[in-house]
Amino acid sequence: MTVVEPHHVAPPLNPQLVGKSVERTEDPGLLSGRAEYIADLVVPGALHAAFFRSPHGHARITTIDTAAAAAAPGVHLVWTAANTAPLSDGIAASLPIDGMKPTVQPVLADGTARFVGEPLAVVVADSPHLAEDARDLIVADLEPLEAIIDTEAAVEATGRANDTLEDNVILDSERVLGDPDGGLADAAVRVSDRFVNQRYAAVPIETRGCIGDYDWSTGKLTLWSSTQMPHFFRTMLSGQLGVPEHKIEVIAPRVGGGFGAKACLFPEELAILLVARELGRPVRWIEDRRENLLSASHAKQQVNEMELGFSADGKLVALANRVVGDGGAYNSLPWTAVVEAMGASGNITSVYDVPKLRDRHITVATNKCPTGAYRGIGWTAPQIAREGLMERAARELGISPFEIRRRNVVQPEQFPYTTITGLEYTEGSYRESVDALEEAVGYEAFLERQRAGREHGRLLGLGVSIFNEITGIATRACFDTGFNVTTHDTSTVRMEPSGTVTVTTSITSQGQGQETTLAQVAADSLGVALENVVVTTASSTNTTTYGMGTWGSRGAVLGAGSIMRASEPIREKLLRTAALMLEVATEDLTLENGTISVTGAPDRSLAVGDVAGAIYFAAEARPPDMDPTLESTATYDGAELAYSNGGQAVILELDPGTGLVEIEKVVIVEDCGTVINPMIVEGQLRGGVAQAIGGVFLEHMAYDEQGQLLSTTFLDYLLPSATDVPDMEIIHLETPSRSSPGGIKGMGESSMLSTPAAIVNAVNDALVPFGRAITELPITPDRVLEITAP
Amino acid sequence: MSTATRTAVSFTVNGTTHEALVEPRVTLADVLRDELGLTGTKVGCEQGVCGACTVLVDGEAVRSCLMLGVQATDSSITTVEGLSDGPALGPLQQAFQRHHALQCGFCTAGFLISTTALLADNPSPSREQIRESLSSSLCRCTGYQTIIDAVEDVAGAGS
Repeated sequence: MTVVEPHHVAPPLNPQLVGKSVERTEDPGLLSGRAEYIADLVVPGALHAAFFRSPHGHARITTIDTAAAAAAPGVHLVWTAANTAPLSDGIAASLPIDGMKPTVQPVLADGTARFVGEPLAVVVADSPHLAEDARDLIVADLEPLEAIIDTEAAVEATGRANDTLEDNVILDSERVLGDPDGGLADAAVRVSDRFVNQRYAAVPIETRGCIGDYDWSTGKLTLWSSTQMPHFFRTMLSGQLGVPEHKIEVIAPRVGGGFGAKACLFPEELAILLVARELGRPVRWIEDRRENLLSASHAKQQVNEMELGFSADGKLVALANRVVGDGGAYNSLPWTAVVEAMGASGNITSVYDVPKLRDRHITVATNKCPTGAYRGIGWTAPQIAREGLMERAARELGISPFEIRRRNVVQPEQFPYTTITGLEYTEGSYRESVDALEEAVGYEAFLERQRAGREHGRLLGLGVSIFNEITGIATRACFDTGFNVTTHDTSTVRMEPSGTVTVTTSITSQGQGQETTLAQVAADSLGVALENVVVTTASSTNTTTYGMGTWGSRGAVLGAGSIMRASEPIREKLLRTAALMLEVATEDLTLENGTISVTGAPDRSLAVGDVAGAIYFAAEARPPDMDPTLESTATYDGAELAYSNGGQAVILELDPGTGLVEIEKVVIVEDCGTVINPMIVEGQLRGGVAQAIGGVFLEHMAYDEQGQLLSTTFLDYLLPSATDVPDMEIIHLETPSRSSPGGIKGMGESSMLSTPAAIVNAVNDALVPFGRAITELPITPDRVLEITAP
Repeated sequence: MSTATRTAVSFTVNGTTHEALVEPRVTLADVLRDELGLTGTKVGCEQGVCGACTVLVDGEAVRSCLMLGVQATDSSITTVEGLSDGPALGPLQQAFQRHHALQCGFCTAGFLISTTALLADNPSPSREQIRESLSSSLCRCTGYQTIIDAVEDVAGAGS
């Protein structure tokens, strides 16, 4: 395993505001309608774009007749691949992994269309309506080809989803650790099944959108985009367009939800910049919902064939898994097609002490929308498989779902613990999480209710899922999980002469509240009040520090780490100067509550602002070797991974006559170490549970055999509403990381990676009297009725 | 269709009378956003499902993506911009902040307006009535519980 230097350690934190549910400073702008999202920006002179998209899942493009569109009122330009191909190859994406196949998605499909919704042409006109009118006049002569749709069949299929590849397998990788076959052969209890996770997507309520502009006088391109990663976005744009980075500015306005889907560079964004440069005018594209569902990246589609073996006393002896992940027609950028299947493999043993492992992950290309990142990435599907089999084994062994987990989690005395795959767990409250869930659901009383209910034909079910989550994803995490890329984030902290603090950071916010939580961290780092701190997240590549942005439960850890490290020299300067002014040693000073005072003599003190002012303006007050500035920039790239952990327990009732499910109780245990803001952590947890409910019961990007997407409106693609999502109970455990900044761990993905498994387990617990289980998602009433009312 | 085919409309928005020349095919949401610059009203699906574009038209909660601008003539419209009390948040907005009833904020205007209609109709709704009523809008961030908490708080305070 490659160890990548340098690794950063943040200074200790004195938590004053950290740990408090302070109200979010960003809220007044969001609540009053004043906050500006991409569609709210007014760029003078902007024209409007519409895309003509493939109506076929796989087709040879014979001709695209754009004459009528070009002649339509208000139209400035109609472009196809003939125009864009000479300017940019398109989205070229791969990862530095042996055997992985790169792909290139042209800016506009060139010769072949490989999924329904792939852009074939772009129209630019005076208004969005005129652009769409003209777009509808485009006539494309398309010759349908065989579409590769079935995920598993794609592995062996002779037909190819993408004829630039020699076959449909993007990556096939296996590791055999210990002797899994021997372990399974010797196991007293073996449980196995095939778990089919459907394709669904992040679907933020704000769709994608961007505005491109080109200034020929400076040669500068500007892209306003609803993105989670403006800096890395610029780096990718530069590579894909062949334009130097310093000639591109990426500006991210408020982002109306991302969940991973907006941490991606799309061909539409390349197209908008190219047509803006051609026309010398700003060009705006705001995606509509149909386009969003067709083409804004999909996720979660995997088939896991998993087997667990146990000893007679219920201890795991081996785990074997083969996962096939559906990557769609092209590698997305930067995640690529492997994000699902390799993500599944990355933390396959999770919280359990697994001594023997076979782990094969295969990613296939299909004629579907490219797969991107969605909260919980590849972890959601194998969690459903593993946690489902744990409960099945518990039934066979005659022990409770809590007891089997207690016996198999990494025990408190085993930390620090190295998994068979080489992941290092430095601490965790795995067994405590199981105990907390058992107590919260009142397990014995539930069993009695379940038994009594069954006598009257009522189907109550209890399901559990426990997890750990790789968070604070920096370089080490990417190498430990096989992605082999370098990631870090950077902040600049500046204390002004009056003692107020301005932070700029490469971390972004799509609603997670970083302007508040990172201000809490900055305030505590410098001992000042929250109202004296302002945090500017990465709104522009020109005005904020370079970094990777917010994804992968990393914003809190990397944002906090970089701010704490950047604050350290400022703090030192304040203390050194105050020591001179107060005529004491630096070690005798305490910096807290906006005051620097002599420890034990609080009347001998200076306001932070007075010391800051002296550093800037009173040369005689500061040490002679000190620069008169209080501005500092630092990166955080953590030495160790911060594994948060926890679990969910779900109680539900299933109606055997209708197949409908009523969720009665959801208990969440979360341990993300030091909590910056409990209110915000709880918001993340509840939101993830809602998405889990959608993913288990409602959401499905359903394709027919020809590759036609059947769910292109919110009437077909169902999101959970207030009546689908119950109130939840949240239990906080707090096991600080030994190495992360302030002990903080990330937690944004946890609900979505683990709750689906708890829900599926609860349904299958309710179905136990029928002797069958549902292993194919989504769990629709039809699938329930096949069992309860065949 | 020519851009010249425009119809004069006149309506009151947040207490101010506006006159505009709009294309007959343009939705009320687009008129509010593009003609009047009131971009607090968001467009999430243009299919009448997500509820982000909800505004009050003569006191009724209406999907402004499903209503044409010309249909709103002579009506009185309230948007999210009309809920603030001068340069301060109104009570419902404050409750949303207190309860962390928003994350990305994109759906929030729709929830605030829908709630305003609910409370005008029923000043003391039960928790289940609030939940039922708010199922008209979609939020992808919060899981709804805190939105319901915020509405319950305001309803309780008002009753």
